[in-house]
Amino acid sequence: MNALLAVAQIKGPHLDWAGLSPLIALLGGAVTVLLLGLLRNRLVRRICVPLLTMLVLAAAAGLSIWRWHHAATLVSGALRVDDLSLLLGLVAIAAAAACVLLSLRAAAPAVAGEGEYHALLLSTVSGMVVLLAAQNFVTLFLGFELLSIPLYVLCGSELRRRGSLESGLKYLIVGSVGSATLLYGLALIYGATGSTDFSGVAAALSSGSLASDPLLLTGVALTAAGLCFKCSVAPFHQWTPDVYQGAPTPITAFQAVATKAAAFGIFLRLFDGALINAQPSWGPILAALAAITIIVGNVGALGQSSLKRMLAYSSVAQAGYMLGGVLVSTRLGLQATVFYLAIYLFMNMAAFAVIVARERETGEGDDIAGMVGLGSSRPLLAWPMTLAMLSLAGIPATAGFIGKVYLIDALVDGGYAWLAVVLVVGSMISLAYYLRVVAAMWMRPSAGVAGARPIMAGGSAEAPTATRLSGLEVSVVAALFGAATLVFGIVPSPLLSLARDAGKALTGIF
Amino acid sequence: MSATTFGWLILLCPLLGTVVIALAWRWLPGASAGWIATLAIALSFGLSVAALIALLGRHPAHRELSSTLWSYASSVGLDAKLQILVDPLSVFMALVVSGVSTLIHLYSVAYMASDRGYRRYFAYLNYFVFSMLLLVEAANFLLLIVGWAFVGAASYLLISFWYRRRTATAAGIKAFVVNVVGDVGLVLGTYFIFKHLGTLDFLKVFAGVKDAFAPNQGDLVAGCVLLLVGAFAKSAQIPLHTWLPDAMEGPTPVSALIHATTMVTAGVYLIARMHPLFEHAPAAQDVGAIIGCLTLLIAGTIGLAVTDLKRVIAYSTMSQIGYMIMGVSVGAYAAGLFHLMTHAFFKALLFMAAGSLIGAMAGEQSLDRMGGFRKAMPFTYVCFIFGGLALSGVPPFSGFFSKDEVLLLTANQGGWHWILYVGGYLGALLTALYTWRMIFRAFHGEPVPEALELERGTIAHGHPFNPATGEQEDTDVGFPGPEHHTAERAASMRIAMAVLAALALLGGLIQIPHFDNAISNFLRPAFADSSLYDQSPSDTLLVVGLVLGALLGVLGILIAYRVWVQRPGTAERVRRRLAPVHRLFVEKWYFDELYDIVFVRSGAAIGRFAQLSFERVVVNGVLVGGSAGLVRAGSAAVRALQDGLVRVYAALLVFGVAAVALYFLLQSS
Amino acid sequence: MPIVWYVVVSALVFCIGTYGVLTRRNPLVILLCLELMLNASNLALIAFARQHGNADGQIFAIIVLVVAACEVTIGLGLIVALYRRRLPIDVDQMNELQG
Repeated sequence: MNALLAVAQIKGPHLDWAGLSPLIALLGGAVTVLLLGLLRNRLVRRICVPLLTMLVLAAAAGLSIWRWHHAATLVSGALRVDDLSLLLGLVAIAAAAACVLLSLRAAAPAVAGEGEYHALLLSTVSGMVVLLAAQNFVTLFLGFELLSIPLYVLCGSELRRRGSLESGLKYLIVGSVGSATLLYGLALIYGATGSTDFSGVAAALSSGSLASDPLLLTGVALTAAGLCFKCSVAPFHQWTPDVYQGAPTPITAFQAVATKAAAFGIFLRLFDGALINAQPSWGPILAALAAITIIVGNVGALGQSSLKRMLAYSSVAQAGYMLGGVLVSTRLGLQATVFYLAIYLFMNMAAFAVIVARERETGEGDDIAGMVGLGSSRPLLAWPMTLAMLSLAGIPATAGFIGKVYLIDALVDGGYAWLAVVLVVGSMISLAYYLRVVAAMWMRPSAGVAGARPIMAGGSAEAPTATRLSGLEVSVVAALFGAATLVFGIVPSPLLSLARDAGKALTGIF
Repeated sequence: MSATTFGWLILLCPLLGTVVIALAWRWLPGASAGWIATLAIALSFGLSVAALIALLGRHPAHRELSSTLWSYASSVGLDAKLQILVDPLSVFMALVVSGVSTLIHLYSVAYMASDRGYRRYFAYLNYFVFSMLLLVEAANFLLLIVGWAFVGAASYLLISFWYRRRTATAAGIKAFVVNVVGDVGLVLGTYFIFKHLGTLDFLKVFAGVKDAFAPNQGDLVAGCVLLLVGAFAKSAQIPLHTWLPDAMEGPTPVSALIHATTMVTAGVYLIARMHPLFEHAPAAQDVGAIIGCLTLLIAGTIGLAVTDLKRVIAYSTMSQIGYMIMGVSVGAYAAGLFHLMTHAFFKALLFMAAGSLIGAMAGEQSLDRMGGFRKAMPFTYVCFIFGGLALSGVPPFSGFFSKDEVLLLTANQGGWHWILYVGGYLGALLTALYTWRMIFRAFHGEPVPEALELERGTIAHGHPFNPATGEQEDTDVGFPGPEHHTAERAASMRIAMAVLAALALLGGLIQIPHFDNAISNFLRPAFADSSLYDQSPSDTLLVVGLVLGALLGVLGILIAYRVWVQRPGTAERVRRRLAPVHRLFVEKWYFDELYDIVFVRSGAAIGRFAQLSFERVVVNGVLVGGSAGLVRAGSAAVRALQDGLVRVYAALLVFGVAAVALYFLLQSS
Repeated sequence: MPIVWYVVVSALVFCIGTYGVLTRRNPLVILLCLELMLNASNLALIAFARQHGNADGQIFAIIVLVVAACEVTIGLGLIVALYRRRLPIDVDQMNELQG
């Protein structure tokens, strides 16, 4: 391509193919998967497409691991691939792989077309990779939209179900308002500083003369709101419960984890990198938002009977915890946030995998009633769910406990002890709804009628009432991520050292 | 493999045993759970021997090995590591613990065979051994506390093993509560030390203690006394001893394992392990020595009066641990640990023999109802004789050497320690008396019906009544069951008892003064920094002590023989003449009643008052009710806002943006 | 003309777009209003590019145009899907998910 550009007498930027390789693998994979999905053969669509998607994700993961410790700035400073972007990118890739496994027998890919479904998934992941590596406003916005637009479609991909369509359209409308807000904020920051590069913005801010420029401050406000929207920080969170509940469950699981990782990654890069010099003006307001988020999320989750909805509110609360790690603008806070995002993958995936399994096995949908008596009837599903719930609540010996301890440590260290108190109070409230699930699984006997209900509407009474098994791959995902929750709760040091490496990526903070 | 690898494997075996039995219990047929558990502990013992050999292969100056498996978290200066210390002391303890545990597991395979909770029992038992080994191998305070709490939990589980018995669950709770008092002491003591030294690592603490503290400095003494509180609670020393007699509600092998030989000696181990701290705080050492001496006397007197067979042995355990605590508190580390080892042998033997006897009595434990079992159970009788002779300190049995060495080194301290010396020998006389009172009452005199039945070849079958209270028992899970009793007939029980009997006879020979000093020589590297370790008392004192000890033991036996065999009425006459004293002993010096009044009743009264006034109005009404109501109202508000209308969401989003922007703009002006 | 007027116009367009999103019930009209919001940003970007004399803003604006087109396409696709299922094309009646 460089040769071609040279012939055309256009000076193209130097391309570092090695640094771009994970992104290229994902985008190339998306196109290939889409084309493969065009084949009419059922075997190809049912088996080969997911298999190829997994291969693409594995390749992207492998290439990311290959680039570990090879920090590089690419495409004339538009992207920066370093340990921070690679680690969070790996979280997104792992979430996507789990999503592919959970979708194997789901309705959504069959309705929407396997090729399209998986290609959209891969493009979302590539959007996340771009977003995580963004070094200027253009790539930031591009990554942001490349992440969002396929997700809108994926949420609405179960075309025959009204809830899915509703969630897709809702996400699109509210999400676009969020994107527009973000974009306008970026435009205003550009107007105030005269640069779209993060480094240029940081340089312009370092002089200090812009500290009280209304143009800049409005821009920062709008940008913060746009990013908060993506991280589901209150009061920009309201799309979260509806979209999580309506979307196909594998997609919910994916976006709960991966979107959060990508959005917090860029939050860290933009606010703890480019805008670090304006920290005194945005720190307190983000702290207020974090406190509101923790309270709203935890309070909203109480009394929900839909597990997906409960986990959506719980993810709002968790976003509040993680925002604490961002706003202190210290290296400790950065590491704590990255660590929490990584373990968030394990605990959320384990929980959603169990929900997927129960949705298919009972007729209860994702209602908490589907969990009753799981402890005695399906201990291999009940254990991952228990671990996930305990970890989300932050009980010792689970990864969630370590994550919370680090966040609290970072908050106290960064001078936001009051926010740490809010975090603890929020965790206390959260026990009420997490333990409700645990109690339903272990403390109530399995109601024998659960299996007797016809699985589909119109199912006849003569239909075999034996519980339909949900497929091995779902149990495997649940067990794997549940075990990881426990293992990293007991041996957190490997993950901590990864988070520490990632934390070295930003140079402006201490 | 290095010694530390063996150290880790020693821990792994019982842990694996626990996990396997706990997870696979459904699929374990018959006695397999028992054999798996026994095998796990036997492996652990083998590995302890391997660690011993590996350690002996090293130069004495390099026998303290510490190994870190991983660092749990390093936050705010707290170095939380999974780290073990393999040195002569920990290997010695691991050998005793795993060795005796193996035999007790073997015994339990038959003893518990007809119990419905058979697999649960072995899962618990392996968990206990794991916890105890963790405790002795811990290389920092954190892991020590974890092991300390784990053994407390295991003890609770095993005491209330027959959970349908109210007395058993009550005893379990009592043991747990008292042990938690000790845990709190241990944690607070650790805090005092951590505050000054900034590390939890044993070796670093020991190296730095002389620089960080002046001798007898307040904080150090406070820390050491708090550690002693932990030690007293675990080792059933006055005033935290009340749980041990009640703990006899557990199955008899549990009493043998936890409440005679391993867990209760943790306090002795703790003081020995912490010797650099204690030697730097002699005031705390004195506290330990005095309490040890008091305990050995008081427990001895109670042992003379109680009539429950297992409780007699339990008080004897308290008394013997008093010797050990006294020993390690005056710097007689090798002697104290030597006594720990020999005591493990003969006390486990006595408990096993008692288990056999109780089996023959169909669960009945009262000495008043026993008698004449000599002919019916010759093997058990011999075991009792061996254990009794060792316990009374008659040469050449093991107790003779170890007890006298403790007392010898106590006297060597001079000054007021002579009082302890005299107390110790008084205790030795009491020991011989209560031990042989028990043996003579159970095995001599007229055979009771159960003994006659056994002579005819059948075992008496009990009724489902709780021997402690007489109340009717639930015969479902949680009851020993009518087929529970196997007397001395199972081979595995006989093997375990025979091995222990041999050890009770010969175990003392490995450390004979002036002849061989195997234990002191082996332990020396662990006490290299001790100024009290190598004392050389005068030979006159040594000979006087040995002769005195032997004479007192024999004298006690003779008195007991005269009172309980030759003239059976004597005891009754003495009791009547000394009625108040007897009552004091029978009522266990009224410790339970005192605690009941001071702590339980007054605490309950304060609690009731608080519940009526403060709790109901302030806590329930305002705090809990108020905050719960607030949360509920918040929940309702959040969900009301979440009405599903996109335009409302967008509006709230815009309002949010406006509010944030407004905040920023206010800043700019 | 000073650059500030362009910024004021862009802010007005942004607000009009926001108002439309908040008040209209037909998703098609809402999509149009979203376009207004995005194009307000474009206007601001181009104005600032002119002010600072570099091309960054203009490039950004062109890319935003492309992205906006994608977004509208997706929106239309979802509306068609709603229509095919005979669901009401009215955002106020999409409230099955709530609470």
